[in-house]
Amino acid sequence: MALDLGRVRRSLSTRDGDLTFGQRILGFRWLMLLLLAALVAIGVATLYSAGRGSFSPWADRQLLRFGVGLTALVVVALTDFRIWLRFAYAIYGVGLLLLVAVETIGTTAMGAQRWLDLGPVNIQPSELMKIAMVLALARYFHGLTLEAVARPHYLIPPLLMVFAPAILVMKQPDLGTALTLVLGGGAMFYLAGVRMWKFALVIAGALAAMPFLWERLRDYQKRRILMFLNPESDPLGAGYHIIQSKIALGSGGIFGKGFMQGTQSHLNFLPEKQTDFIFTMLAEEWGMVGGVFLLLLYAAVLGYGFALAVRIRHQFGRLVAMGIVNIMFIYVFVNIGMVMGVLPVVGIPLPLISYGGSAMLTLMAGFGLLIGAYIHREAPLGT
Amino acid sequence: MTAPRTAGPTGGYAFKLVREGAGRRAIDVGRIRLGVTIGLFGIAFAVLAGRLVELTLFAEAEPRPTRVVAAKPEPGRAAIQDRNGLLLATNLTTASLYARPKAMLDVPGAAEKLARVLPEIDAASLTERLSGEKQFAWIKRHLTPRQQQEVNALGLPGIGLAPDHSRIYPQGALTAHVVGYVDPDSRGLAGIERSFDGALRRGEAAELSIDLRVQHALRDELLRSVERHQALAAAGLVMDIASGEILGMVSLPDFEPQRPGAAEREALFNRAALGVYEMGSTLKAFTTAMALELGATSLDHKFDARAPLQYARFSIRDDHPKNRWLSVSEVFVYSSNIGSARMAMDVGIARHRQFLGSLGLLEAVRLELLENGQPLVPRPWREINTLTIAFGHGLAITPVQLVAGYAALANGGIAVTPTLLKRTGPVEGRRVVSAETSVQMRRLMRAVVEQGTGKQAEAEGYLVGGKTGTAEKAGRGGYQRKALLSSFVGVFPADAPRFVILAVLDEPKGRKDTNGYATGGWTAAPAVARIVNRIAPVLGVMPTGRMPLDMLPPLIAPEAGAGGMFEEEPTRGPVHEIAAHGDQLATR
Repeated sequence: MALDLGRVRRSLSTRDGDLTFGQRILGFRWLMLLLLAALVAIGVATLYSAGRGSFSPWADRQLLRFGVGLTALVVVALTDFRIWLRFAYAIYGVGLLLLVAVETIGTTAMGAQRWLDLGPVNIQPSELMKIAMVLALARYFHGLTLEAVARPHYLIPPLLMVFAPAILVMKQPDLGTALTLVLGGGAMFYLAGVRMWKFALVIAGALAAMPFLWERLRDYQKRRILMFLNPESDPLGAGYHIIQSKIALGSGGIFGKGFMQGTQSHLNFLPEKQTDFIFTMLAEEWGMVGGVFLLLLYAAVLGYGFALAVRIRHQFGRLVAMGIVNIMFIYVFVNIGMVMGVLPVVGIPLPLISYGGSAMLTLMAGFGLLIGAYIHREAPLGT
Repeated sequence: MTAPRTAGPTGGYAFKLVREGAGRRAIDVGRIRLGVTIGLFGIAFAVLAGRLVELTLFAEAEPRPTRVVAAKPEPGRAAIQDRNGLLLATNLTTASLYARPKAMLDVPGAAEKLARVLPEIDAASLTERLSGEKQFAWIKRHLTPRQQQEVNALGLPGIGLAPDHSRIYPQGALTAHVVGYVDPDSRGLAGIERSFDGALRRGEAAELSIDLRVQHALRDELLRSVERHQALAAAGLVMDIASGEILGMVSLPDFEPQRPGAAEREALFNRAALGVYEMGSTLKAFTTAMALELGATSLDHKFDARAPLQYARFSIRDDHPKNRWLSVSEVFVYSSNIGSARMAMDVGIARHRQFLGSLGLLEAVRLELLENGQPLVPRPWREINTLTIAFGHGLAITPVQLVAGYAALANGGIAVTPTLLKRTGPVEGRRVVSAETSVQMRRLMRAVVEQGTGKQAEAEGYLVGGKTGTAEKAGRGGYQRKALLSSFVGVFPADAPRFVILAVLDEPKGRKDTNGYATGGWTAAPAVARIVNRIAPVLGVMPTGRMPLDMLPPLIAPEAGAGGMFEEEPTRGPVHEIAAHGDQLATR
């Protein structure tokens, strides 16, 4: 079909990618930013309590990181969205290189080699990889017709895009991030229209590979999984985190002990209270009511994210937006499920609330992409 | 792939109009899949919220240690005090160490750490005790504050401290048998702790008749005598003669009520209240009083003691036979078995038995302890029983009964009920002997100390009367010549008695300075003298000069020493003057 592209572009001037700055500001979803800021505020307050009523050592630095993340979000959101399409693979390639680099020259933090020391800042390439993978997969599926998606050999590149970083991350070892990559990638396959029986095939393959993978797990990872499957068989104390976490949650009751009154966490019975187990501390101090409120807030972020995603008219933007929402969901579900003993212990932070820079930056940049995709929702990206 | 679907009526509808083919279908499929995804997310959040509600609301359903313990001691188990308000038993708030084995992470490691802090714990046996399907176990009760801190510093999960109460006996062994002791859950097991368990639990304090100062002197002097004579055991009592209040009750050996488990069975036994003994010659006072009351007409009435008394195959003889007729006074002062037996024979079996019964010697006393000995009374009671009981054998009674009987003889003739509680109201008593007989008994008892077997009971400055007793203990195949129960019952002041004092030594040994004697006169009587010298000042008894028996002013029923009220008896002429004298002595 012969089409005068120039004419179409002119007639649909608001749909072309060349939005003015004012148009971009108008398209910016401030409500999303408000919801994210509310989560960060709750996180900072909880870190303030974890620091025994002090901004140091956690709350102040968390605020600083929010400032950096906020800048990243706004910059990413206002960037012409076509740039991300153009550089999606490049970004992914850089992420993969960094993962390899961390394997060779990375520094070890807490027994796991995850960090790349770049002078003043340490970056965690596995965090960047989550965004990069979403971009790359979205880019891949954006160019594919549904018929192409239906053909098995077209699925080999995206599968490699998921499993290459996942295996590298697992070697660090970081089971949580590897799991996030696989689940997040899988969700994108699903949303892109990959047929169900292919998922069954991949899952069956994964199950078949289980014995092999099991051998490659670290002892503590095996223990965590065994402990989750059979909590009573816990002679060496691998369940300490969870037992303490449940005690703290139970001691919170309906309305909690009050801000800065959480005894279990303040007496350091609760490990990692400022990072992975921050939800427990929050629920001890704010009770069931506080915990449910936080869940509702997350649900609002995710729901609003999906609501924005469905209004994006190009596959790339929609998949990026939904991929970001998926990543967020996996963080929330795995972390909260873990601290409540629903899932095994894997080191995944509670997004925007746990103390930690990489996750904050990743998610803020990710939501920058989501808002940016929405702002440029009618931009013609070609196929 | 799927056939084209109708798009949902949302914003995407318009989009569908401008997009065609593959892209459109991709969006359709995407829409369904997005719905599924959102649904799954919703379910996941519902699971999380449900779990959160479960953990925060129902975590309490797990049994808490404080609720598992059924026998939680009442926080306010009342105190036990002596008559002056000094504490004999009280509570200390402590903490007890418990374990909830299911919440423990490393039982052997925890046991080892605890054993390091609490040396009396054995790590291996504790590990065994905490293994298995247990919800709760005590590890150690009543930790000291230092131990509590050290245990807390270990920070072991599943190990905790529960508030607890420990029973404390500030006087230690001093009042062990009277006050008794409790189990670790503060339930009374012996003594007042047991008999008043319910009241103490309800918070009603027990105020005892015991006077700690008297108790201390009594125990101290008995300990000295036990050591001096290498006695197996000893018992001692001090009783207010008018009210029946027991001011001191000691049984040796005794024990630390804080740790009754560490004591021997022998030490836990209350000889003063629970033990029954053939007291020997001290029972002659009852025989003599009975003879004066019922048989013989006067102290000068004579009984034939020229030869041992033959009865069936028994022969009743005296240790130092006078081989002549003896007056009532002489029978008592010289402690003649023959004369006592003849006196009782004159009275007869029925009246003898009835008289002893009226003094409360034939049935258990109702002292405020569950440890009250049941006297051993001969059944059937034949003439030979009357003959032997007359000089103190064939009837076994508790020391409390003996002292209560002496109180009745010496206080003007009124039987009183012995008690361990401080009396507040008037004392009820019933007359068992006449005032005259009581006066005569005082004179006789004084004569025993002045002229007879009880000379060593003489206490400098105080008039002590009394009677010695030296009984061979019944053993296998008859009485044992070398195993003696030596005793002395004293009343003082002898002219207007206010207190009865008993000292009993079980198998004392003779010494060089007692000429090898281990009799009541040589062992128990000196103890009573020492006790009198120590307790008279604190009981407000003024020292007097020594008075020969014949110079004693005629005696009458005493003013009730401890606030007791006797019914006033009509008395004869000369008696009135001494009533005034008695009043002066009786000031407290």
